[in-house]
Amino acid sequence: MQNKAPLDKDLDPIEKASRDEIAALQVSRLRWSLTHAYNNVAHYRRKFDEAGVHPDEFRSLEDLARFPFTTKQDLRDTYPFGMFAVPRQQVVRVHASSGTTGKPTVVGYTKADIEMWADLMARSIRASGGRPGDKVHVAYGYGLFTGGLGAHYGAERLGCTVIPFGGGQTERQVQLMRDFQPDIIMVTPSYLLNIADEFVRQGHDPKESSMRIGILGAEPWTNNMRQEIEARFGIDAIDIYGLSEVIGPGVANECIESKDGPTVWEDHFYPEIIDPATGQALPDGSHGELVFTSLTKEALPVIRYRTRDLTRLLPPTSRSFRRMDKITGRSDDMLIIRGVNVFPTQIEELILKLPSLSPHYVLEVTREGHLDELAVLVELKPDVAAASKAARQEMGHSLQHHIKSYIGISTEVKVVDVGTIERSIGKARRVIDKRPKD
Amino acid sequence: MKEHRAAPQALEPIETASRDEIAALQLERLRRTLAHVHRNVPHYRAKFDAAGMHPDDLRSLEDLSRFPFTTKDDLRQTYPFGLFAVPMEDVVRIHASSGTTGKPTVVGYTARDIDTWADIMARSIRAAGGSRHDIIHITHGYGLFTGGLGVHYGAERVGCTVVPISTGQTERQVQLIQDFKPTMIVGTPSYVMNIADEFERQGLNPAASSLRRAICGAEPWTEQMRAELETRLGVDALDLYGLSEVIGPGVACECIESKDGPTVWEDHFLPEIIDPETGRILPDGEMGELVLTSLTKEAMPIVRFRTRDLTRLLPPTARAFRRVAKVTGRTDDMLIIRGVNLFPSQVEELILKQPRLSPHYVLEVNRDGHLDTLTILVELKADCALCSATDREHAAHALRHHVKSYIGVNTEVRIMDVGSLERSVGKARRVVDHRPL
Repeated sequence: MQNKAPLDKDLDPIEKASRDEIAALQVSRLRWSLTHAYNNVAHYRRKFDEAGVHPDEFRSLEDLARFPFTTKQDLRDTYPFGMFAVPRQQVVRVHASSGTTGKPTVVGYTKADIEMWADLMARSIRASGGRPGDKVHVAYGYGLFTGGLGAHYGAERLGCTVIPFGGGQTERQVQLMRDFQPDIIMVTPSYLLNIADEFVRQGHDPKESSMRIGILGAEPWTNNMRQEIEARFGIDAIDIYGLSEVIGPGVANECIESKDGPTVWEDHFYPEIIDPATGQALPDGSHGELVFTSLTKEALPVIRYRTRDLTRLLPPTSRSFRRMDKITGRSDDMLIIRGVNVFPTQIEELILKLPSLSPHYVLEVTREGHLDELAVLVELKPDVAAASKAARQEMGHSLQHHIKSYIGISTEVKVVDVGTIERSIGKARRVIDKRPKD
Repeated sequence: MKEHRAAPQALEPIETASRDEIAALQLERLRRTLAHVHRNVPHYRAKFDAAGMHPDDLRSLEDLSRFPFTTKDDLRQTYPFGLFAVPMEDVVRIHASSGTTGKPTVVGYTARDIDTWADIMARSIRAAGGSRHDIIHITHGYGLFTGGLGVHYGAERVGCTVVPISTGQTERQVQLIQDFKPTMIVGTPSYVMNIADEFERQGLNPAASSLRRAICGAEPWTEQMRAELETRLGVDALDLYGLSEVIGPGVACECIESKDGPTVWEDHFLPEIIDPETGRILPDGEMGELVLTSLTKEAMPIVRFRTRDLTRLLPPTARAFRRVAKVTGRTDDMLIIRGVNLFPSQVEELILKQPRLSPHYVLEVNRDGHLDTLTILVELKADCALCSATDREHAAHALRHHVKSYIGVNTEVRIMDVGSLERSVGKARRVVDHRPL
């Protein structure tokens, strides 16, 4: 297949630069970023001081390993705006992860950050084979989640016609895809398969859709899934990677000409792989946890952010930047249900707000067709062990409502008898993942 | 009492220009718009020709009344992109109304249209007392609906800190208002009221929140509602008007210093009031249907669009532009349920897709607290009169799902026995509105 890749003249010069040029740019930007964080964020200053490091000691890329990691906990500790490195008036956008009554993960952007993000998302769509004038159907959720607006601004920047659909209303998605004839869809891979089923249900062959390209992310997926999606729709399915703490979608994106794992936009994000147990930096090619440092972000610079995603770094192919392999797992217990990040502790917190429910619970993840389903099994407290069926239903209902309202996902809640959930010796087993492994 | 900011310091020159200057600008822009649609949209050309009109016939603003109206039906007939006046590659955004398997209302924007829209939404936010110092919490739905993204681009243009929370997850909305301390909130008046209720449910006093101003729109509301919102939330509540066919939110907005009805941004939209029966122009001050013509739109210019909203045009006060009074009703049967526009015919179409359901139905609108709820009462088909309770439940479930999926509103569906709904003599009465006025 020809002419799918963007022309060299359309690439940003840095995408084809030498590794030396890239490294030089990274060093100077890293120095800026470390200094910016140290000078303007008390939390970073304290952490650097405690680790006995100063931005001035950063001279080469290897020096970065001496700086402390940043984790989700740092964002929680400084909730909501404590990690912002600019005065609040320069923050033009706030996004937030789901979260409970506790602390969602909050991220902020200056005008320049929004510009940079739009540029990188435009670069990602172009790497996927998108061109100005393409119609882009954005089916990521719009709102506080970075997916929808991130994709939207990038498609607009590239000069596409943006159809800002958002998530849900699957029948209507199919109707409008047939009527508006989009060239590209941006969506989670599982939801795209759901859309394929809906095409069939409405009596249409998804292969006959107008789409050429699917840019798919916000949840891990496999090459088998790529083959299935490509075969069912007759499109190129391209992997996009990102997370809101780093900026949102568009941290890395696959190139259509090689489809060999997302190319990391190394001019804005510096990747490392570490041993999740020891924190030691590992050489390229080794499996470990992906860590990112932002190089140009103003409002919320992140230094050595532990993504908890397990993967490896691969050498450059279609661009001068390194690539990341498919994500093979997580180094924490986060679940991704239909593109929404969920931690068992978030659910626990909501369970404990209900007076009749105990902290003995298990989350069961199953796959219904192509979509993941989450069931919460939770025990009654002993003092309400004799609760009627109606009372249990009521409790289940209110937990379900709270999870939907605070975390944003639909669940099935089963209120079970006292003592029926297996007790753990040591670390409780909170998640039973029944999804097929492929 | 919280401290409120007065009128914006810096207005655009046209906002305080003389009426002559405004009229001259309108005439020039109107001429350009008519020529643009005549040259680039076959549907407009055919309609102008049929009416015996040519853009050159426009010599004064009064001549506009000789040009034909545009209605929602014109948009449907040219679905999806037939009213676009520029090549598709110049269209950078598409929005669409709810709609069913039939034809949603589709609108398109060039890069310059998006820019114009952001400018007038920014002007609206400034008129409502907003500035770059504000943190703005936007509860309008984001997506194909113009509400969320329209306000978002305007707030970004003003330089506010934008919290794009979108609709729903009300408990969380309250949590984030407590934590982020926004100074402005944007939403439908009923949803903002719902948020006030949720504050109280959580044991919090909404009047003690950080909010100073509420910009409310996407559904008609009353002065009583304003008074209640202002007291309960301790805010200034301002009315924002717009509709997607014309551009989206930001066609008109109230000024905080006068609060006397939305000021129409007449440099971009020319308003007329007509008698909905005869189509005749009515003088300013008289009650009739609002008709709007776009003056600067490129992708989808709109000429004499019949909004179906009943109101009056009022003389300028806080700005040099005329105002519209509060919308008092509609000239069609459109319902607005929690900010979503819905026509009975859309529901009918979905009913008729269900093999067991008949075309005998009634839509009941109620108000639950501050939110409108919609119940669909629909009869079984005569040949299904004896179907089981499970079959009925199944039909109700399927209809409910379709209405949610295609139109985007939650409803209650009740399957009725054959003959139990009143038959109409003449025009069927499809809507029973139980909402207090």
